[in-house]
Amino acid sequence: MQLNPPTRSSSLRSKLSTAVCILLASAAPAVTPAVARADPPATQLDASLLIYGEHTRAKVVEPTVRVSRLFADGQTVSAQIGIDVITGATPSGGLPSGVSTTGPPGGDGVVSVTAASGGGGTGPSPADLPVTRFNDTRVALDADWQKPLGVLTPVVSGHFSRERDYQSIGGSGKLSLEMLHKLTTVTGGAGFNDDNVFPSGGTRAPLSDSTIIVGHDWNPKHVRGGLVGVSQILSRRWMIAVNGSRSLETGYLTEPYKVVSQMDPGSGLVVGQITERRPARRERSDILTSSVYHFLRDVLYLSHRYYWDDWGVRSNTFDLKYRHELQDSVYVQPHLRYYAQSPADFFRFGLVQGDPLPAFVSSDERLGPLRTATVGAMLGFTLPGTPGEWSVRAEYIRQFGKGHPDYVTGVQRDFNLFPPVNIGSLVVAYSLAF
Amino acid sequence: MRRMRRVALTLLLVGMTGGCATVQPWDRDLLAEKKMRFVPHPAVQAIDEHIYFSKEGSTGGQEVGGGGCGCN
Amino acid sequence: MASPCEVLVDCDNRDVAECALRIARDEAFRIEAKFSRYRRDNIVHAINEARGEPVPVDEETAGLLDYAATCHEISGGLFDITSGVLRRVWTFDGGDRVPPEGAVREALRHVGWHRVRWADRVIGMPEGMEIDLGAIGKEYAVDRAAGLIAAEVHEPFLVNFGGDLVASGSRRRQRPWGVGIDDPRRPGEAALYRIELHRGGLATSGDARRFVLHRGKRLGHILDPRTGWPVQDAPRSITVLTATCLESGTLSTLAYLKGAGAREFLVEQGAQFWIL
Repeated sequence: MQLNPPTRSSSLRSKLSTAVCILLASAAPAVTPAVARADPPATQLDASLLIYGEHTRAKVVEPTVRVSRLFADGQTVSAQIGIDVITGATPSGGLPSGVSTTGPPGGDGVVSVTAASGGGGTGPSPADLPVTRFNDTRVALDADWQKPLGVLTPVVSGHFSRERDYQSIGGSGKLSLEMLHKLTTVTGGAGFNDDNVFPSGGTRAPLSDSTIIVGHDWNPKHVRGGLVGVSQILSRRWMIAVNGSRSLETGYLTEPYKVVSQMDPGSGLVVGQITERRPARRERSDILTSSVYHFLRDVLYLSHRYYWDDWGVRSNTFDLKYRHELQDSVYVQPHLRYYAQSPADFFRFGLVQGDPLPAFVSSDERLGPLRTATVGAMLGFTLPGTPGEWSVRAEYIRQFGKGHPDYVTGVQRDFNLFPPVNIGSLVVAYSLAF
Repeated sequence: MRRMRRVALTLLLVGMTGGCATVQPWDRDLLAEKKMRFVPHPAVQAIDEHIYFSKEGSTGGQEVGGGGCGCN
Repeated sequence: MASPCEVLVDCDNRDVAECALRIARDEAFRIEAKFSRYRRDNIVHAINEARGEPVPVDEETAGLLDYAATCHEISGGLFDITSGVLRRVWTFDGGDRVPPEGAVREALRHVGWHRVRWADRVIGMPEGMEIDLGAIGKEYAVDRAAGLIAAEVHEPFLVNFGGDLVASGSRRRQRPWGVGIDDPRRPGEAALYRIELHRGGLATSGDARRFVLHRGKRLGHILDPRTGWPVQDAPRSITVLTATCLESGTLSTLAYLKGAGAREFLVEQGAQFWIL
């Protein structure tokens, strides 16, 4: 391959240009010099900022920067760094106390009752779920490489992240094969994570008082997974894909800080609490079906994911995005997402004191009967005069669930143990090729 | 679960037979656009996956062996 | 034109695009009808069947013959529109049939622009000689069509007749036209290189599609008028960018005719080029 910017002209060239001008004079108006950029932009920069807030709970600020470089033979290498700053509160897993208190004891890592939604008085309401305050900063590094080799494209990725009580090291490899006039692409991949959990204050003993510490070592968690996918171009406008993945997690899968409350069999008031216990093994599977359809100018993205695992969690996720092109490279893209999950087998909002302890139990609402609904919109635009593309996305997420189980007693039967959470998020992203 | 597998397999076969109608190279103009991808905004998709991974009990769909965090 | 032709217009108005396409199509058909050597009712046929008699030509044909004469002169005789008769003895179908030496020598007796009398809009040549404007006809048609479209259409457009193309200017919002150079090893399947074209003409010469195999070597369809044989040791694919498609096509053909010296020739001419 050879290319040269025009540096000099020869007499042959000038005679030729003149001859061309004479011949084309009748049709072509003033012939202006050719302009072409020989090398397409090889570097891409993507930056994003997430601002996320749950009403009365966690708040997150997360900037991320990614750089990609494309080489002459089609190889692409990318590197990304992201920082997650999380503050606020998260449910401890415990039940509402059922009694009024004068004020929160406070302190990091100690269960305290916050003054939550509305309810008069300065003290916490007896119906509120107890929460734990926390703050943490997570740093994540990702890198990947891919190279097209004819109809095959291998992709290799690596990941490293670290926060106060968790470290993750991961890697994956993927291979895509284009077939049948490049209309069908088959992909296979495998990945792993070798993570470690080292809770602040030490690892708590399971199903026990949360002050009993069994060690301060790192608790490993291993994940091994694979995926298979097929994508198909059905027409000039429409492409679909089906992907299936399965992974196996082993090791320390328990949430290190959450607790399970024990309620009095008669009054339902909280009389004690113990730490969680989850199985040391989790086998997860999912099937994801996606469709992308191009209308005259707009594009519709639809997807559905069915998920199940051997903890009993089953879920359906429906996602819809519609990209509507306005004029001049401005677009608006509304987004709807609906998620419904059925709880893990060992999920309990709380235990009744006196009943035999189950082998596994968790009150983590993320394993419970929950639904999430998301409504949002993204606006994509370019700023005239400056290079690069911008997008701004605002979303409202509402998470709620069935909070009236039949196994709670006394005053707990009056409370909604899964009150809705309102969440707002804002993402600003910028992309530049140079 | 077996039913879901059958549904997925059916979709797959439907997709592949639909693909018997070849799309000619000059008809691939729309398909070449940057927005014609299953994941049109990878950066935003990654943010979403992290958010929902930490708020819900499910994982997966697009990638394996990616980022881990203490949030689930 | 014997190849797929397209016109791309960067606009939102279908009527404008159809207007541009119509202009390009009409001009392509007109030039094809007037200058194709396969037709029996045009000026080229009249010239080729004149049996030595002088033939007066119109202004446009004169322009093309002047251009061909200039190319013959500046290339030192390599570029020769009378070399078309050599195609009778060669078949470029990917097979390995080569003509016997005697047949080539016989055909060469009817090759040579220096034997043509061209002056004052009258052309005469010995019986048995033929002119073939195929080497420049397509690129000429591209530039002509672009010029006519530019008079009617003010949106950016690109005219592409079978791989010879010209772009009138940048697309909207200063975006370039993405042009791929065909991979000579897999013609029609993949683009090996991507050019961001804002304005100018591109033409490619090569042996990817029409060739013959001789002693394990691939020989393209462009014949050296001095030997009667295909050019030896030329690159697989030469793409040249200049202000017009005609100049690009002529330079890429001249470069190809230089065989192994193609790269050096193009560097000397100071043109932007890609050799794959």
